[in-house]
Order: sequence, then C-alpha cells, then structure tokens
Amino acid sequence: MAATPRIIVVGGGLAGLSAVIKIAEAGGTVDLFSIVPVKRSHSVCAQGGINAAKDLKGEGDDVLKHFDDTVYGGDFLANQTPVKNMTAQGPAIIDLLDRMGVPFNRTPEGLLDFRRFGGTLYQRTAFAGATTGQQLLYALDEQVRRHESEGKVTKYEGWEFLSAVLDDNGVCRGIVAMDLRSMETRTFAADAIIICTGGNGAIFGKSTNSVVCTGSAQSALYQQGAFYANGEFIQVHPTAIPGEDKLRLMSESARGEGGRVWVPRDRNDKRAAQTIPEPERWYFLEERYPKYGNLVPRDIATREIFKVVYQDEMGIDGQPMVYLDVSHLSPERQNKLEGILEIYEKFVGDDPRKVPMKIFPGVHYTMGGLWVDFQQQTNIPGVFAAGEADYSIHGANRLGANSLLSCIYGGFVAGPEALKYAKTLKPQTGDGGHAKELARQKALNEALLNNQGTENPFKIWRELGDAMTKYATIVRYNAGLDECDAKLVELLARYKNVNLSDKSQWANTSFAFTRQLYNMLELARVIVKGARMRDESRGAHYKPDFPDRNDERFLKTTMAAFVNGAPEITYEEVDTGWIKPRPRVYTSS
Amino acid sequence: MAAAAPPAPPSSAPLRGVQPLRAGEGHSFFWRRLHSLSGIVPIGAFLVEHIVSNFEMLNGPMAYAKQVLFLNSLPLVRVLEWSFIFIPLAFHALYGVFIAVRGRSNVNVYPWAGNFGYLMQRVTGIIALLYIAYHVATQRFMGTNLPEHPGAAFAKVQHELANPVILAVYVIAMIATCWHFAYGIWLFAAKWGITPGTEARKKFGYVCGAIGTVLCVMGLTAIYAVVVKYPNAPEDVMPEVPAGVSRVAPVVAPRDLKAPLQVAVR
Amino acid sequence: MADQQTIKVSIKRQASPDAKASTETFEIPYRPNMNITSLLGEVALNPRTVSGVDSTPITYDSNCLEEICGSCAMLINGKAMMACSALVDKLLGAAEHGQKPDLSKTITLAPLSKFPVVRDLAVDRSVLFENLKKVKAWVPVDGSYDLGPGPRQVPQIQEQRYPLSNCISCTICMEVCPQFNDATGFVGAATIAQTKLFNMDPAGKVLKEERLRALAGDGGIQECGFAQNCVQACPKQLPLTEAISDIGRDVFVQQVKDFFTR
Ligand SMILES: Cc1cc2nc3c(=O)[nH]c(=O)nc-3n(C[C@H](O)[C@H](O)[C@H](O)COP(=O)(O)OP(=O)(O)OC[C@H]3O[C@@H](n4cnc5c(N)ncnc54)[C@H](O)[C@@H]3O)c2cc1C
Ligand code: HEM
Ligand code: HEM
Ligand code: SF4
Ligand code: F3S
Ligand code: FES
Repeated sequence: MAATPRIIVVGGGLAGLSAVIKIAEAGGTVDLFSIVPVKRSHSVCAQGGINAAKDLKGEGDDVLKHFDDTVYGGDFLANQTPVKNMTAQGPAIIDLLDRMGVPFNRTPEGLLDFRRFGGTLYQRTAFAGATTGQQLLYALDEQVRRHESEGKVTKYEGWEFLSAVLDDNGVCRGIVAMDLRSMETRTFAADAIIICTGGNGAIFGKSTNSVVCTGSAQSALYQQGAFYANGEFIQVHPTAIPGEDKLRLMSESARGEGGRVWVPRDRNDKRAAQTIPEPERWYFLEERYPKYGNLVPRDIATREIFKVVYQDEMGIDGQPMVYLDVSHLSPERQNKLEGILEIYEKFVGDDPRKVPMKIFPGVHYTMGGLWVDFQQQTNIPGVFAAGEADYSIHGANRLGANSLLSCIYGGFVAGPEALKYAKTLKPQTGDGGHAKELARQKALNEALLNNQGTENPFKIWRELGDAMTKYATIVRYNAGLDECDAKLVELLARYKNVNLSDKSQWANTSFAFTRQLYNMLELARVIVKGARMRDESRGAHYKPDFPDRNDERFLKTTMAAFVNGAPEITYEEVDTGWIKPRPRVYTSS
Repeated sequence: MAAAAPPAPPSSAPLRGVQPLRAGEGHSFFWRRLHSLSGIVPIGAFLVEHIVSNFEMLNGPMAYAKQVLFLNSLPLVRVLEWSFIFIPLAFHALYGVFIAVRGRSNVNVYPWAGNFGYLMQRVTGIIALLYIAYHVATQRFMGTNLPEHPGAAFAKVQHELANPVILAVYVIAMIATCWHFAYGIWLFAAKWGITPGTEARKKFGYVCGAIGTVLCVMGLTAIYAVVVKYPNAPEDVMPEVPAGVSRVAPVVAPRDLKAPLQVAVR
Repeated sequence: MADQQTIKVSIKRQASPDAKASTETFEIPYRPNMNITSLLGEVALNPRTVSGVDSTPITYDSNCLEEICGSCAMLINGKAMMACSALVDKLLGAAEHGQKPDLSKTITLAPLSKFPVVRDLAVDRSVLFENLKKVKAWVPVDGSYDLGPGPRQVPQIQEQRYPLSNCISCTICMEVCPQFNDATGFVGAATIAQTKLFNMDPAGKVLKEERLRALAGDGGIQECGFAQNCVQACPKQLPLTEAISDIGRDVFVQQVKDFFTR
C-alpha cells in the first residue's frame, strides 16, 4: 500500500475539480492534468443553472421527484441507483457551492432563487445570472488553487493525456501525457486515475461545445480496453445560434424565464418578426404540449423544431431557423438572462431584448461515455471516470441543468473511491508497464511526424463533422448510418495518409490536434455503430423507422468494446430497481 | 509503495515577463501614498496660497509687497519654507519622475480620456518640475533677496517676464501646474477611495475642473497684472526704513489701459 | 475560385519564446459573419501565404469560442481583444450588422505585448493565476461536506458580487494598463477586482486583512495610476475602477490599523 496514495485527475472541469477537492481534503496528493488552464475548461460555458430539489418555492418539490424526473426524462435508460444518490445529494451540493461563494441569484429574503428548466414542473434550478457554469467552475477552481498553494495539488496545465499505463495484469499504474509546449511525452505514475475529460462535441464538427471537447481521452481508453457505453445518445440542443465556427448555445433558461418558440403561420411571411401580430404566430410547442409548453425536454423540442423546418417547411424565410422570443419579457426577467442575451447580441448583432432570436438545434452533450460502476470505476482497475466523460446518470436524454450536478456528484464519488481503491492496491511488479506504453506513444508521435502523405487533418475533420451531423444527430436511418460508418472507415484510411504542414516540436497545436483526430474517428464509429444497432426510438435517439421505445429488446446499456480495430457492441441490463419504466409522454400527464 | 516515482514538477519554464505581486513585501505602498498625499498637502495647499498671494499683484506692487512681507514675517518662516515646501516638493517631484519613467503610456493605441489624463499628469508634472526648478532658483535664490526686500518682489517678477520667452514659459507652466493639481485632486480622491463610484467620480471631476480653472485664471491674472496692468513698477516699493518709522506707501498708478502697451525692456 | 471574395490577414509569428518574430500575410475566403477564430481556422485549412510560400497553422489559444473562457486574447489591429468575439465585418469597417465591409483592408494579428510569447499568438499568462494565489482569491470553507446552507445574503450583495465574478482572466485589463510592465510588476486590475469579490463574501471575509496586506506589497494597488484603460477594455465590463477605488481605501485603512496595532 502506498503511504500517501497518489492520484492523477485528468481534466479540470467541474468533475475533475470536484474530485481533486475531495482527495486533497482527505489528505491525498493529486496531480491534475488539463489541456487548457483549468479555469478555461468547457464547464465555464454552462449558462442556465444547476438542479437540486431544495423546494424553496413552496411547490412541494422533493429529491424523489427530482429522481423521478431525471429517470423519466432519460427514458429509463439510466441506472437508477446513482441517479437516486445524485438527486439526494443535490441540495447539499448547492449549499456547499453557496458556501464557496458562488454568487447565486437571491430572493429578497436572502435565500437562493430557483427557476424552472425543461422536463420538470418545479422551479428547481439554482442559477447565477446566466453564467452558472462559469461561477461554479470558478468556485471549485479557487478551492483547488487554495489546495495547490498548500502543496496538496500539482497542476499540469497544458499537458494532454494520451493513454493510461497498464501493467501486465491490466491494472492502471499511471498515464502517458504530452506537454503541449515542449511536446515532451512522458509517463506519470499513479495508484489510480480519474478521467474527467468532458464531452465530445468536436466529433460533430460544429457544436455548442468548446474546442478541446474532442472525446480523445475517452477514445484512447476505449482503445485500451475500457467499455464505452451508450455512445449513440447525443443530445442535440433545441436552441443554438448557428455560427461560422461554432453553434453558440441559447440556454434553456431563455425559455425557463418565459421565452417562446414560434414561426410565422404563413411560411411566405416576409415581415420583420416584431411586426407579426400575435394571431399570425405559430407557437407550435405550446400548441402541441399544453402542459410543458416551451419547456418540454430537449429531445422533444429539438425534434419538433426539426420537423417544423424540414417536414412542414415552415422555417423562417425557408431557412433552417425558428424564432426564440424573449422580447415580450419584463426588463427584470430579461436582466436575469443578461449573459446569454449578450452572447446573441455580440455574435449576431441584433438586440434580443427587442427582436426575436433566430435559432436552430445544435449538438450539445453526450449522454454516453466511459462505462463506470456505481463507484465511478471503469472496467480497467484503477481507472475512474466522472462528469460528461462517463455515461451514468442521464440515460437516453439529459435534463437541463442536471449535468453540472452530475459532474460535481461524479467527482465527489470518484475522488474518495479512487483513494479507497489506491489504499488497497498491491505494489506493481517491475516498472508497471511504463516503459512499454511510453515507447508505444512515442512511436505514434514519430510515425505522425514522419508521415509523407497528402491529407490535411483539418479537412478530414471537416468531413467527419459533416457526415456525423448529417447522419447521426436528430433523425437517424439505418441506411444513413451505414453510409456514415463507411465514410468513417474511409476517413480512417485517409488518416494514414495525413501530412502535417507543421513538424516542429514546440507548441505544435496541429500535431496535437491530429493525434486527437484519430481518436475522434474511432469514437465516431462507436456512436454510429451503437445507433445502427439500436432499432428503437428512445430519448435523444430517434429512428422514424422504429418510432417507439422497445423496452423488451433495448432497455439495455450499449457497451462498446474495441475488438480487432472496430467497435463490438454488447448490452447490459439497466438497474430499474426503484422506478418501474413507464411510457414517456409530455403531451399530457 | 505502489507508484514507481513521484512525477517531477511541471516542466513549464519559470515565469518570465511581468513578475507576480510581492505580497506584503517592501514599502512602496507607503511612499506612493505619501507622494499622493504630498501633492495635496502641503504642495497643493502651497500652490493655492501662492496663487492667492500672487493674485494680490492685481492690486499693484505695494499690495503685493505687503503680501510678501506678511508671508516672510510668519514665525519660523525659513523652517516652514523648507519643511512644508522645499522638502515635500523635492520628494514629490523626484518620486514623481521615478513614477513617470516606470509607466508605459499607450494613448496612441488606446486614445481614451482616462489614458490621456494619465499621460498629461506625467507631462504636466515634468513641466512643473522644470519650471519650478528654474523659477525658485531665479526668484528665490538669485538676484534681489526678497525676504529682505519684499518691496522689490513686483519689479523682480516684472523684469523676469519682460522676456517674451520667459513669459510664455510662465503661462504654460501656470496652465500645466493647475491642470496637474486639479487632476491630482481628482486622482487622489479616486485612489484613496473617496469617490469610488463612476457617478461620484464624474461629479467630482466637475468640481476639480472648477478648482483648476479658478486657480489658473487667478494665476494668469497675476501675470497679466505684472506684464500689462502695472508697467514700469518701481524697483522697490518698500525701501529699508529705520525701525519704528511707519512706511508711507508710494502711490503707483495703474496703467491707462487704453494707452499702447510698453513692455519695459531693460 | 476566381470570383470568391477574399480578405487579407497579416499575422505576427514567432516560432518559440526566443525566436525572432516575423510577419506573414494570408488571403482568406471571405464569408459574412466571420470572427477572428474562424479566420484562423481557415488559415489552418490552407496554410499558404499570399506570396505562395507553404507555412504552418497558427498557434493560438482558444476554447469556448463564445467569450467566456478567456483564452483567446490577442492584439487585433493593434488593440487587445478577444479573438472569438472580434467580428471580421466590424473590423473591416461595417459599422452596423448587415452592412457591407471594406474587403480591401488588411487585418493584423499579434500576440499580447506584455506577456512572454509561447508561440505565434499564444502567450503565457500564468502571472495572473500566481497573483490570484498571492491574494488568496478563494473562500476558505471548512470542508466540502454537508454543513448546511450558507448565510443568507440580500440580493444587493449578490448584485455587487456577480459582475466581479464574471472576470474571465483574459488579462486584457493588464495588457492595456500603462502601469502593468516589467518595471512596476503591478498586479493589474483583475486581481484587485477579485480581492474585492472575496472580501465581500460573508465567509470569504475572514481573509480580508491578509488580502489587503498582500495588495500593499510591492507591485500592489498603489502602482495603479488610474489610467482607466482597464475598465474601458475589459470584455466583461467589470467595474474595475470602482474596485480599485474601494480596495485602495481598504488597503490604506488596513495599513494604518496595522501601523498602530502590529
Ligand atoms: C454551451 C453549454 C451550456 C451548458 N449549460 C448547462 C447548464 O446550464 N446546466 C447544466 O447542468 N449543464 C450544462 N451544460 C453541460 C455542462 O456544461 C457539461 O456537461 C459539463 O460542464 C462537463 O463538465 P466536465 O467536468 O465533465 O468536463 P469539462 O468542463 O468539459 O472539462 C474537461 C476537462 O478535461 C480536460 N481535457 C480534455 N481532454 C483532455 C486530455 N486528453 N488530456 C488532459 N486534459 C483533457 C480539459 O482541459 C478540461 O479541463 C452545458 C454545455 C454547453 C456546451
Ligand atoms: C504668476 C506666476 C508666479 C509668480 C508671479 C510667482 C512669484 C514668485 C515669487 C516672487 C517668489 C519668491 C518669493 C519669496 O522668495 O518669498 C516665488 C517663489 C516660489 N514660487 Fe512662484 N510664482 C508664480 C508661479 C508659481 C508656480 C506656478 C509655482 C508652482 C508650484 C510656483 C512655485 C514657487 C515656489 C516653490 C517658490 C519658492 C517658495 C518660497 O521660497 O516660499 N510659483 N514665486
Ligand atoms: C515638480 C514636479 C512634479 C512632478 C514630476 C510630479 C509628478 C507627479 C506624478 C507622476 C503624479 C502621478 C502619480 C500617479 O499617477 O500615480 C503626480 C500626482 C500628483 N501631483 Fe505631482 N508632480 C509634480 C509637481 C506637483 C505639484 C507642484 C503639485 C501641486 C500643485 C502636484 C500635485 C500632485 C497631486 C495632487 C497628485 C495626485 C496624487 C495621486 O496620484 O494620488 N504635483 N505628480
Ligand atoms: S477584469 Fe476584465 S479584462 Fe481583466 S482579466 Fe477579468 S475579464 Fe479580462
Ligand atoms: S488601466 Fe491601469 S493604471 Fe489603474 S485604472 Fe486601470 S489599472
Ligand atoms: S475562445 Fe474562449 S474567450 Fe475566446
């Protein structure tokens, strides 16, 4: 047993930082790896808020209702025990964040204010203006900085995780990482590692995710033998601002505060949106879902918008866009949305306080991720995972504002569990596989640098994104998925022929990106294969040819393993011990 | 121990460029605040006093002589002069130069009002320094010793300003000093947390502007009085008289303002 | 592609911290509503200069692409801005949304000037994070276990703290500050604003005195010459001068107290 177990946390988003805090607090020492300075992690982008059933609005909300909403919202695909634990811890997590100084919005009496989010009838979402993720990340970042200044945490910012070091028994003994400045590749020893590397939006080219959300680390581990679960469940957010380089999210809070989605009733209506009178607007979500209205879960809202645009051909000006309108809201309500309205104003140029915003769905979140048990451990001993990088909690569809909670919860579980595991770990024999794994990674680097091909990696990436967006997002057909996989195989072949225009060994970002690109391609195949095989519609996964949920065959976790260079899919039973699956209908109930 | 060896610290190069805060170290806070304060009291206070005194020139050489006499008759005047004027001024000036040379003005890139003010505070400070050095040397330490001959003060200044270049220097210095002082009060209030809000700073800006303008106008009026209003002032309006004999003020008539200006050139 | 409209971008490049800087100009296909990061993406797609020389993709920092992570600060046409929210049309003179920009103008990009260059447009801004450590910019909670709700806080306090908490550590306020340089070693406005944020927190207050003492050290708040560029340039519109003013007073009061009691 190690005197003080040494834990490596990869990723400094909410999940990673939560894990670090727990370990440092318990007396462990942590090495924290992150591509970007942790304060710049993708979690800063989260806008709307974080869920916890504190019932401060006298609505009779409670943690079991939160539990039920989450499981039901996820179309019963999530293992229920961790969801139950998470929702139960929700209020305590919010209190903690509050104590850490997160400037949550307040009621006049000085209590936390809550707003309503999609997929629930309760005001359950705590928020700090419209930049909740930023505020939460900063609070945790500050705590970690404090531990860092006390010597409990060492940060390796600007280092990229390449792979885990596995010993002869397949037990994790550390990681291989690359310094993105000096391009030095080396191994780091650890008794346990926690992977908190976030989402994989970059696989779809443009998404609401940040640039580093490539899923590369998860893919590397999958290729080393970790199961990747439920990969096909990709959340496409109903309201994003189409952009040149990225789809910028227009948070659900816009609808939570009363924002309404509509299109002109007349598809040839060329008038400016503000001038179209009320009766000539089609509030299609409110019409079809009188109870939840604009706050139906994301998968449903996304499909409705998609249908209005492509089936009914009612998009604004024939374009794939609909209106999201907050211009009728009172200035106080608009103020609560200041941050996100500014984004729109900044990047589009119109003032959403006066003019309805033009939005369209955009790839947003992956419900799938590394398979973990209820202790957040993957099937590789010593490798833990938490946050968006793992698959637990959200099932087939994530409810708004549940992710921030699940990230913190996941980190809070993974940290202590990793410590516990490390304390009972048997000493490694030999060098624990460090030399071998380092040699493998260095060989990959060499090969890439010396490649004399003709392919531009950025072009391959663009084609990857286009194919995935076209075939594997809102509406999926088996024929399309087959075509998509063929394309992926083609891109993987072309990848062998890639040529780096920059072969230098100092801060070579395109080199690092090209390495990630390979992992993206492999992970894309997992997503496509999982979707291909799941002949049903559940949550975010929708096949018109199989419009219904099929519990008999598919109330199962998709488990992808990397076998002979391709994903092999098996299924695992879902823990439904607490709530019996029931049909998921939001039109009434 | 399970892990092979603890990893080495991050290999990122030691910090280059601007260094981090030296928390709690050194005494620059004290000196900087003292500099700030010295600009207001005693130097600012002296400037007000000096300009008010000089304003007496408007009432003619005799009035001014009386003022100079009065000031020089204050108890311990030499001690006061050194401890409340020369030493603070030297400190403020030298430390001010030290501050100024360590700044990297960038108004050319960021042409914003505050940034302009920042640059001007340095420029006017340097102007004031050069001017005061010259002015004190010539008026206080060279030529007629005014503390002993207060009656000669008016003429001494007049001779000085007879040179148009020097006259220009005086006018520029007057404007610069008043600007420096007025903006200095505003800066003082902002830095010491007296006017934290944007609104408060804006309003106080008007107040400082008014103070500066009034002082500047008074100062220029004095120059006007010396150069234009009382040409050819007597060399000494207060010749040495035995003790106990009361002085009789010679009458000095103001110039007929309609008559053409004759600058006394000697 | 003959009739494809293009724009020119001229980029200051530097291979490593010690290498010599040079300038390369690229011609990029123009599309409406581009921002600087998408422009840099286009360069990566086809890294060939106007004079036909094969070059390399530009190294620069970015992550969120929506002006919230603080990565992408650089000098755009000489001024410090966030690359992701700097819109090409506007830089090319289209005053209003939808107006036609002047495509003959060249956009220039350079790294921030006050921080050591890592490569091309990427600089090392870790000094800010060091400074945040020096002023203990955190709330020293007893522990992360469940200790019940935090103290009640009237909305007015939240309304003052929230804007300060929006700082994205982009360091633009430091870049544009004439006092932030090698000679002064000034902390810069961002750290001062964070000090105010944590001094206002009901629990963060316990470290108030330590923070104020730290800020009285060399390079501390006294170095601010109130040029106010920081508040003008801050992309998140933090009330920086207000914070400097408030903390300036608090630091002074603390120094006086310390003088008489320590
Ligand atoms: C625009 C937007 C808005 C959102 N709004 C909300 C909301 O309102 N409420 C909500 O609950 N959820 C929201 N979400 C979802 C939520 O933000 C994310 O799911 C969550 O932040 C993920 O956190 P994380 O800790 O798992 O990972 P991230 O915050 O993505 O962090 C990943 C970390 O891993 C590091 N990393 C990645 N790869 C490597 C590697 N190979 N080596 C080393 N380090 C690596 C990165 O540097 C980073 O530090 C939103 C998401 C988006 C895109
Ligand atoms: C109208 C313009 C001015 C006139 C006519 C004027 C006149 C004089 C005279 C006559 C003296 C000598 C007094 C003595 O020795 O007792 C003097 C001293 C001095 N003046 Fe000026 N002055 C002018 C402007 C200024 C300005 C703008 C400053 C800047 C702060 C200044 C600073 C001083 C100082 C520091 C002394 C020495 C103080 C002393 O010894 O008491 N003067 N001035
Ligand atoms: C003699 C040469 C002088 C020099 C070189 C000089 C220089 C400076 C400089 C550089 C500052 C700005 C400090 C900062 O921004 O941090 C300053 C501030 C100030 N100066 Fe001077 N100054 C001089 C004379 C004077 C005089 C004569 C007065 C009074 C009339 C004066 C009053 C002030 C005041 C009030 C401030 C504001 C203090 C503050 O920064 O809070 N200075 N001076
Ligand atoms: S205060 Fe503003 S300019 Fe300075 S680092 Fe923060 S966000 Fe950037
Ligand atoms: S620009 Fe600099 S000088 Fe002070 S007011 Fe802002 S920190
Ligand atoms: S990329 Fe995040 S601020 Fe520009």
